[in-house]
Amino acid sequence: MTELADHSTDYGVVAAEPPEVMARNLRIGAHLWASASAFFFAAFLFAYFYLRALDSTAVWRPKHVDPSLTLGTLAAVSLVAAAVLLRFAVADHRADRLNAWRFKGAIVLALLLAGVVLQIVEWSTQSFGPTDGPYASVYLGWTGLLSLFVVGLLYWVETTLATSFRYRNTRRGAPVPAGHASGDGDRSDPDIENPLSLIRSELEAVSFYATFLSGIGIVTWFVLYVL
Amino acid sequence: MNFRRLLGYNLLTAFVLGIVGFYVGWWLGHQFSGPSIAYFADTGQNDIALFLAYLVGLIGFLSGLGFASYPIQRLLGKPPSLREKETAGTGRYFTLCTDHKVVGMQYLIGIGAFIFVGGLNAMLIRFELLSPTKQTFNANNYLTIVGLHGTMMMGMMTSGILGPFANYFLPIMIGARRMAFPRIEALTFWLLMVAGVILMTTVGYGGFPTGWTGYAPLNDQANMGMDSYIVFFALVGLSMSLLGLNMIATVVTMRAPGMAWGRLPIFVWSVIATSVLMLLAAPVLISTLLMVALDRTAQTGFFNAQAGGSPYLYQNLFWIFGHPEVYILALPGMGILLEILPVFARKPLWGYRLAVTGMLGISLLSWLVWQHHLFVSGINADLRPFYMLSTELISLPTGFIFICALGTLWQGRIRFTVPMLFALAWLFNFLIGGLSGVFLSDVPSDVTTHGSFFSMAHFHYTIMGGLLFSFFAAIYFWVPKMTGYAINERFGKIHFWTMFIAFNSTFGPLLVIGFLGMPRRAVTYAGYLHGGNTWVSISAFFLGGSMLVFVGNFVWSQVFARVPVGANPWASKSIEWQLPSPVPVHNFDRIPTFGADPYPYGDGDGAGDSTAPRVVTAPARPRP
Ligand code: HEM
Ligand SMILES: [Cu+2]
Repeated sequence: MTELADHSTDYGVVAAEPPEVMARNLRIGAHLWASASAFFFAAFLFAYFYLRALDSTAVWRPKHVDPSLTLGTLAAVSLVAAAVLLRFAVADHRADRLNAWRFKGAIVLALLLAGVVLQIVEWSTQSFGPTDGPYASVYLGWTGLLSLFVVGLLYWVETTLATSFRYRNTRRGAPVPAGHASGDGDRSDPDIENPLSLIRSELEAVSFYATFLSGIGIVTWFVLYVL
Repeated sequence: MNFRRLLGYNLLTAFVLGIVGFYVGWWLGHQFSGPSIAYFADTGQNDIALFLAYLVGLIGFLSGLGFASYPIQRLLGKPPSLREKETAGTGRYFTLCTDHKVVGMQYLIGIGAFIFVGGLNAMLIRFELLSPTKQTFNANNYLTIVGLHGTMMMGMMTSGILGPFANYFLPIMIGARRMAFPRIEALTFWLLMVAGVILMTTVGYGGFPTGWTGYAPLNDQANMGMDSYIVFFALVGLSMSLLGLNMIATVVTMRAPGMAWGRLPIFVWSVIATSVLMLLAAPVLISTLLMVALDRTAQTGFFNAQAGGSPYLYQNLFWIFGHPEVYILALPGMGILLEILPVFARKPLWGYRLAVTGMLGISLLSWLVWQHHLFVSGINADLRPFYMLSTELISLPTGFIFICALGTLWQGRIRFTVPMLFALAWLFNFLIGGLSGVFLSDVPSDVTTHGSFFSMAHFHYTIMGGLLFSFFAAIYFWVPKMTGYAINERFGKIHFWTMFIAFNSTFGPLLVIGFLGMPRRAVTYAGYLHGGNTWVSISAFFLGGSMLVFVGNFVWSQVFARVPVGANPWASKSIEWQLPSPVPVHNFDRIPTFGADPYPYGDGDGAGDSTAPRVVTAPARPRP
């Protein structure tokens, strides 16, 4: 043993971390994940401009390669609307209007889902396929992966909403069972003190990421449909 | 034996579900393709099936380890939690465990095994090159072996130091009990293991012809073995990106009281510089590989010139990731070097701020140089001077690291322990690597050296001579802390000297042979290079032999001899050495407070120097 630690110390000293720690983790984690996502889509942006400028065989974008502007715009709008609404939901949560936040959260889920569905409708009604030149390639790859990210966002919003809903009748600060969501049969104590208080931080983190992703959505829309 | 324990979340379940998943994916893939969807034409080579097989297999494997349960519980609204399987016995090494020390040990053994496989491939390469004509392998198989060697080494060594050592020691160094995202931490490890297995299965699908860079148009034309490469590198990329994210988040949010930015151990700074590159460069790799996968499955035309795409686009995207990647391989070695030198020179780190500036400078500049890999690809000649200068500019911050190292050694009371020998060898090898690099960044000389064994020898000097040597330095330095058992010093020295001499006698001559015109990735070569190649191959076998000395010594010391070390065998002042060996599950009885920078070595410094400021203090124990 040393001054700082001892093998015989009970593992229980680890228990019950204040939730503020995880709250900070979430905030910084969301920012870092956003920057990684930005680089992910930057590769598609690079590909777009590179191939457009090169156009070696003059097949960049044949006439019939023309995805529906209406559907594309609607998909982008639903993503942006979801992000904006989520901001209001955060404000509701801060003001302790929990039912209002849950209601808005449900609409956010519906909007995100609508965005993905619109995108799928667009793919299945368009008049071109992946073999129709570089623009079509970039368009399909980019929109496809953006939709995948939107599904990820949907999952994240859902978990927050689900926790809030599941414990809607639990008094704030009341204990939840230990190891509730972990597969750790070894724990007898909860590892985060009052984990329900993390809903707000998670909501703030996911709202930040949603705003970021709607920014990506706007860039996508502008580059693929407007330019 | 309690058989019921075999049924839970563990490696066995994971293998079963992984294999089942593989075949489910394979079957699914065959439902998709065919005439129903015109552009998914089944050409007898069903790439979709293989991609899906890998993907579903991966999901099965991870679920078997227990990774699916938390996300599903969250979906149902259970609140967040942090820890899984942290206190149980050996079983926790074979499942999802969130203890950062367990993950560190898992990385050390797991990555070590795959690097060993990569090393065996190197032996096969050198065996084939004993003869200037083809002897054992045909050109295709030779290319696959080279690709397997290079890809495996790059993929695994990327996390070679951050995986085992940063996961284990970074939280301790900043006074934390965990990483910011413990489950993600465990995930990064298991992703790598799945990736490694996937890469090896390429042999069953005909291998891949592109080497580790996967260039177009070959990557589109190659047979199904290419898919293994794509999935491998994409998973490695995901693992890297998450590893970097976790490291940065941990340093930002988890520091103990008193651990100001200016007091971070230099190793932690090197981890930060590396992690920024990992976090941001790896997503570009993933995107790029997904484009290749789309080209191969959905017949898009990103990199296909006939379809209006461009193979150059691939080269650009690959190296936008690839050059940061090579610094991801270099920076941790610098951190290890500067962390170890003060301990064995008994002096404070010289030029802490300079070293930090150097590392962050490298991190920044490494984004601005990628086209030096395209000098002879036919890029616009006007672009060359910029990339040549930006590349040569990097020698400046790299020089900072050398200055700090030499300043620390200057007039130190040096102890030539095994970790110190490996650290000093880093200086020698990396210097040669850096100097040979100047010839490659210089356009006129790159025109003749590009694609030759000169460039191959150059990057082995930096990666193997730099990263692998510092990897071993870290092993000899830190493993006694991780396991509580010493590594035999005498055999350690034998390992060092055989490795150092054999390494230089392998790659030194290769610089010359490369200059004389020996091309990379070719199974035959000109007769006048035969003598040199024979010398190199024999040296390489000695180099391989020195690895066996290491493996033997490591296993013998850690499994059989088991000589316990005390808490602080090197008389270091850094905090990890103030803890018992091995570090207990909870790291600290109570979170410590930091009171000084981590290198207060002073005059007359033996073991403990009473006049030096206290690095850490334990808060008083609460009264019972
Ligand atoms: C026993 C030690 C090693 C030996 C003898 C060795 C030998 C070789 C040889 C002869 C080649 C070139 C083959 C060719 O182009 O025809 C090669 C390629 C390569 N090696 Fe190693 N190597 C060793 C260790 C390592 C290590 C430790 C790393 C990295 C961590 C590494 C990374 C690479 C890479 C990235 C390539 C390029 C593959 C390609 O062209 O795509 N090697 N190695
Ligand atoms: Cu480079």
